[in-house]
Amino acid sequence: MAKKIEISNNIRKLRFFASEMTQQELAEKVGVSRQTIIAIEAGKYSPSLELSFRLADAFGVKLDEVFECHFTE
Amino acid sequence: MSYQEKRNIVSILTGAAILAAYGLVAWGRVRSGAIGPDDLAAWAGLMLVFIGIGIVASIVIQIVFHILLSVSIAVEKKIQDRDCEDLEIEKTIKNEMVEDEMGKLIELKASKAGYIVAGTGFVAALISLVLHAAPAVMLNLVFVSMCAASLIEGVLQLYYFRKGLAHG
Repeated sequence: MAKKIEISNNIRKLRFFASEMTQQELAEKVGVSRQTIIAIEAGKYSPSLELSFRLADAFGVKLDEVFECHFTE
Repeated sequence: MSYQEKRNIVSILTGAAILAAYGLVAWGRVRSGAIGPDDLAAWAGLMLVFIGIGIVASIVIQIVFHILLSVSIAVEKKIQDRDCEDLEIEKTIKNEMVEDEMGKLIELKASKAGYIVAGTGFVAALISLVLHAAPAVMLNLVFVSMCAASLIEGVLQLYYFRKGLAHG
């Protein structure tokens, strides 16, 4: 049976280090609504691979610095 | 409350009002004897009228909603920053009303549930015919299930926008 996966993200932290970038500013940068950024940040929505790369690009970091995953049995 | 949630609430209220109006008119006509259970042409005519009213009302209400929302965003922006330019206001309105992948996924999930409700209504309508119910019952079951499907779609969209869609 496939392992369970838990995905977490560091968007809040990355926004803080990007001169306290607002959720609206990030949403505009990646072309989604603020609602979507709120949902991703709260772990209520898993974005597509394309949007994930856009988010990483917005912060100028690699994808694994934005998202982390933990496998559990 | 986000733009998507507001838009959903408006369409749910519109759909519910039209369904309620249909129910009242249909009930009134049945009680007055103006329309009988076997008068399929009259029932179909009444439903067509309400489908037309529904389409027109939805379009008009959505236009009015978008105008009012744009005005409220513009006023809010002007209050925050008096010197703010029209282009900036336009950009804010555009950003507020953006449609993205999460919205599309939610619409897809909600429409799946809508199809299930409409399909169940159709099967219930066929069962009513098998059980020798009046043809008007069958027609009304199909019509009401379609209206209910649209309402449930709206309610589910609202629910998913609130709860989120973890792991797709």
